[in-house]
Amino acid sequence: MNFLTLAAKNLLRRRGRTLLTVLGVAIAVSVLFSLMALNSGYEKELNKEVNSMGIHILAVPKGCPYEAASLIIHGGVIPKYLSDSDLKNVSLIPGIELATPMLMHQFMKKDERSGKSTPHIIYGINIEEMRTLKPWWTVEGRFFRDNETNVMLVGRDLADKENLSVGQILAVGPNKENFTVVGILDRTGDQDDQFHFFPLAEAQRIFSKEGKITTIAVKVDDVSQISQVSAEMEKISDIQVVTMTQIMGTIMNLAGSARSLLLTVIAIALIISAFGIINTLLMSVNERTQEFGMMKAIGASGLDIGKMVLAETVIITAAGGLIGIFGSIVGSSLIESFVKNMLPYSPRGSLISLNPELIIFALVFSIMLGLVCGIYPAFKSSRLTPMEAIRSGAD
Amino acid sequence: MSETIDAKNLTKIYRRGREEIYALNDVDIRVSNGEFVSIIGPYGSGKTALLNVLGCLDTPTRGSLRLNGIETSGLKEKDLVRLRRDNIGFVFQQFYLIPTLTARENIELPLLFSRKNGNRSRIDEILELVDLGNRSEHLPRQLSGGEMQRVAIGRALINDPKIILADEPTGNLDSGTSKKIFDLFRELNNHGLTLVVVTHNLELARQAHKMYTLRDGQIVRCEDLACVLGRNDLKVQLEVV
Repeated sequence: MNFLTLAAKNLLRRRGRTLLTVLGVAIAVSVLFSLMALNSGYEKELNKEVNSMGIHILAVPKGCPYEAASLIIHGGVIPKYLSDSDLKNVSLIPGIELATPMLMHQFMKKDERSGKSTPHIIYGINIEEMRTLKPWWTVEGRFFRDNETNVMLVGRDLADKENLSVGQILAVGPNKENFTVVGILDRTGDQDDQFHFFPLAEAQRIFSKEGKITTIAVKVDDVSQISQVSAEMEKISDIQVVTMTQIMGTIMNLAGSARSLLLTVIAIALIISAFGIINTLLMSVNERTQEFGMMKAIGASGLDIGKMVLAETVIITAAGGLIGIFGSIVGSSLIESFVKNMLPYSPRGSLISLNPELIIFALVFSIMLGLVCGIYPAFKSSRLTPMEAIRSGAD
Repeated sequence: MSETIDAKNLTKIYRRGREEIYALNDVDIRVSNGEFVSIIGPYGSGKTALLNVLGCLDTPTRGSLRLNGIETSGLKEKDLVRLRRDNIGFVFQQFYLIPTLTARENIELPLLFSRKNGNRSRIDEILELVDLGNRSEHLPRQLSGGEMQRVAIGRALINDPKIILADEPTGNLDSGTSKKIFDLFRELNNHGLTLVVVTHNLELARQAHKMYTLRDGQIVRCEDLACVLGRNDLKVQLEVV
């Protein structure tokens, strides 16, 4: 027998109370663990998503804030445009491997089953250049050619959701013009899975935006030259330059406020949990005062009693920590969908990143919580004199 | 015979507001090595207070106490812990067994505090001594009152103490079981253990070598019963202190 087994057996005396305290810790640790996993996963997925665009710099119309640039990544539409001449000027800047124009437009499509209208995003693109930016694109069916008319590609998720197949004809645009789905992109795991892709000229034609583009996506020869290239691009009067790093920063800032709110919730949960643990231990200590007196009589020192009470706390919090971590892992998808609704922008991949360091941190944290919460009850019990303790039961 | 307990002018005063209550008042008591002493007296006479002071669970307000030749006044708590651990075994009326530990584990408990745990053969030996060899894996709730007290006695013995201090060890037991507990005490005493037992049971108290009677915190009588036990006659030497 050692102090841990003695402490564990002591905890079994009030199983219900012990279980409830363990659950309290589990919930607090679970929330903490989920947020940390989410924080690391969010950044990772955002990085992945930005990198998957294959783009280093976005040129957007002047006055367009970074937030709007962030929206562009996710298919948002901004009401300002660049021109072909801007594209030409950008292309002339040294150090640029590729500058490709894109026009984004949105149209509402009525769902036949539900009767609800949902926004659909159309990207007008230059397919050859886009395939250079995104060499991983593969397609069921075929890619369209840039000079083709009334053709489109659709993302895999969109195709699945709308039950689209290659060869199907869809009415698009203000004039409900028929377009044939010539290809369905194989799943990319990013936002491309949800869009319609049209030849740029066709997108401009049906939405009457001839000569207009929403953004110019730029790939540089050497990533270390991004700041020099963007400085050169800034010199073009109509253009505002946003690098992917800036976009990420903006999104992280937007997410930051939501995370602060979550952190507050966690802090409150942890404080409540800590008081719960202290309360449970103090009750347990008070109930066993006479027993501590007996222990002191048979040779236990104050330190021994304190160690035993502390061991009980650590068992509670370690068990709570393990259950909390396990619960978070099992319920990660539920937590993820809840958090995604709270964040202003969410990358499409899994936001929860589980790694061993995080698990160890959460476990160490829960044990530390136990040590902190156990200090006062342990101190209180260790200070009792044997007589005070034994006599307490006679009152 | 050398003295295991040598207490002089022991006084214990409790304060209740401005009132002073003398739990012990100038008590002198000597217990020799291997002696069996019983302490009797009415409720509130100071029996338990005396036992607690003798066991270093409580400190006297005045007076001196030597245990195995060591003067206890002025000792720090950690030294008192060591003194108790190495010299004294306690037996309480309420047993104070840990309900989630088996009989064996309850007996083993003091070894945990004296950092001698793991001595299985010693525990087996004690279990046999207190006649609980076949009940060792039972929890306290599965044991009778007598068995629980025997576990408590086993727990008091496990650290090889020089003295056993027992406070009303039969207070919660029926007469048959009480007699068995006292038989066990006699047996332990025959093995050379010094015993000081507080009891209300005069019949059992008379099985000791010496019987002290307390009243209002003072020893009012000391009967030397050694000759009774030794020669089986009724020659009782009375000594009024």
